[in-house]
Amino acid sequence: MKQMRKLRDIALKDLLVVGKDRGSWILLLITPLAIIMVASFALGPAFKGELKSQLLASNLDQGQIGRQLTDALGGREGLQIVEATPEECQALSVGDKKYKTALVIPEDFSSRILTGSDTSLQVYVDPTDNVNRPFMVGMIDGAASRLSGMVSAVRVAVSEVVKFAPETEPVTVAADAAPAAVQQMSQDPPVALRIDSASGMREVNMFDTQVPGYSVMFLLFGVMLGAEMLLGERDAGTLGRLLVAPVSKSAIMGGKLVAQFCIAMAQMAILFGVGHFVFGMHLGNSIPGLILMIAVTAFTATAFGLLLASVVKTRRQATSLGTLIVILMSALGGSWWPLDIVPGFMQVLGHITITAWALDGINALIIKGKNFTDILPDMAVLLVYGCICFIAGIKMFKFRNA
Amino acid sequence: MPLVNAENLVKKYDKLTAVDGVSFHIDEGQIFGFLGPNGAGKSTTISMLSTYLEPTSGDAVIDGFSITRQTAKVKSIIGVVPQEIALYPTLTAIQNLKFYGKMYGMGGEELDQRCHELLDLVELWERRDSRVENFSGGMKRRINMAAGLLHQPRFLLLDEPTVGVDPQSREHIFDTIFKIRDAGTTILYTSHYMEEVELLCDYIAIMDKGKLVAGGTLKQLLSMLGEGGVIEIEVVPPGCPGGLVENMKMQNGVTAVRHEDSQLTISSKNSAHSLPPLLKVLEDSGCDIERLEIYTPNLEKLFIRLTGKELRE
Repeated sequence: MKQMRKLRDIALKDLLVVGKDRGSWILLLITPLAIIMVASFALGPAFKGELKSQLLASNLDQGQIGRQLTDALGGREGLQIVEATPEECQALSVGDKKYKTALVIPEDFSSRILTGSDTSLQVYVDPTDNVNRPFMVGMIDGAASRLSGMVSAVRVAVSEVVKFAPETEPVTVAADAAPAAVQQMSQDPPVALRIDSASGMREVNMFDTQVPGYSVMFLLFGVMLGAEMLLGERDAGTLGRLLVAPVSKSAIMGGKLVAQFCIAMAQMAILFGVGHFVFGMHLGNSIPGLILMIAVTAFTATAFGLLLASVVKTRRQATSLGTLIVILMSALGGSWWPLDIVPGFMQVLGHITITAWALDGINALIIKGKNFTDILPDMAVLLVYGCICFIAGIKMFKFRNA
Repeated sequence: MPLVNAENLVKKYDKLTAVDGVSFHIDEGQIFGFLGPNGAGKSTTISMLSTYLEPTSGDAVIDGFSITRQTAKVKSIIGVVPQEIALYPTLTAIQNLKFYGKMYGMGGEELDQRCHELLDLVELWERRDSRVENFSGGMKRRINMAAGLLHQPRFLLLDEPTVGVDPQSREHIFDTIFKIRDAGTTILYTSHYMEEVELLCDYIAIMDKGKLVAGGTLKQLLSMLGEGGVIEIEVVPPGCPGGLVENMKMQNGVTAVRHEDSQLTISSKNSAHSLPPLLKVLEDSGCDIERLEIYTPNLEKLFIRLTGKELRE
């Protein structure tokens, strides 16, 4: 009982020390909030589809179909048409302003379509633009494909008419049928796409993905700070002073881990709280499940911090090795981008990290609308991970400097 | 009556023997000083007595409790003031003291009262709510000492408590140590400053290379150099004519003569009285004096005599 009271007093002292340290606040809360805000506001419009890509277009067509094509492209979500000359299109610039993609519609575009002849569209691309290029080319290709389909339909119609009325002039039939077919471009296509969120999933905002990712990353930075503090106490002699007082080693270590766990929980609560109440981040359907998932993550991270303090010899090593590990874990584990977009072997590799398991569970709750029972496997893995780190850390930690 | 009995304490780190078979006893109420250069093994001996380090062999008994078998009992009756400022810099003086007090099972009114007493003792009550990081080196040392006294230990271990402090703070610390001793606490004090152990300690043990090389009261130790003083004479040509050392030993008041190369070291009961006949003997022998120095004995000289090197080396 006495040792438990001492454990509590050590934990309270550590909380007080961290609370009075402005540097800790900056690392634990201010930096992650700043990064979450910057990332969310920077990427938010693109994420929500509000960011429009611009397409330079030069329509030289003498007929109507070129105009209908640019109108159809301009009407697409996320795309804005900027009119330009063929030279500007080829240079991908108008004055000082640079563009990534341009389209030139030739003079005889309409007449060739109306006569059922083949034609082509000229597209200029920036070869370094790997982000927008597939989207822009896909848009143009989609519109061209619809035109091609209609030209094919006109050709079939003309051949059928000529078959039943051989005296009819094909060109006359095509001239009558083609405008009607092209008119279809501005109307709903016969085969439309219906896009809905998958079962149980809902629309997400940027903060739904950014807050958990960066929170877990800075939770790990926080425990790295805890490891550094523990080594700092060893260097400063305060740990030695506790060792010569009637306090058991388990009370000393227990107090420190409880404090670190509380700091981690408070950090996550504040980051998620700000995410929810200030930025409208969703918390999912199971708040108790989310709290438990965060608690398990905090425990595992705390135990990992202890292991880090046990394997390094100096505070400097803890800082450098800890930073390397946290950044690798964040990159591999999905703090910066969803693991779904990385190759399969990277997804497997990512799951050696605390980050991946923690984000799997948290994202399942707040993005995929899963329940507490669905994240039990993630929690179980994290608990085992944490217990291994904890036992190894306790066994390996050196209370005294060599 | 001895409060502390150390028997053949040994501490080895791989091939290095930091403490090599040290035995001593400390009487109750005594200030026992360990004097020696850095690396002599003083701090390691204190670390073993405080249970921070386990001896490789040997044992010590403090107030009836073994440091190897009854560590919990020992911890509760000793107070340790480490060489480092083992305080939390961002906490205030009183927050530090209260925290360490709780580690000794203290609390409530008793702890508040004791913190007040100690902050008064070290004359820092007015600064109790200031962060330790804003204190001068001397003030930190005084709080560091107070933190070791919270539970009123029977035996206090002070490891170089004046390192890096200004003379005024050093005086403060000495005053505090005398007050603690007067209150009945037995003290083990380590230092590499001979003036400190000369001033403070009732018994002085000189350590070098992990071993005790001499021990006794200040008077007993200095008498090893001769009670009255020491005369050092460097002669040319080097070497001594036959019979010179014996002739010198026969002069009035001379208690010992050592000869090494060109240097003669003469211990005398009264240097002023012994000097004229010694100079006459030298003149008769045909030697010239290159250098002559008379000094009163001190621990520095004794240390050089015992180890062949200076304390601060």
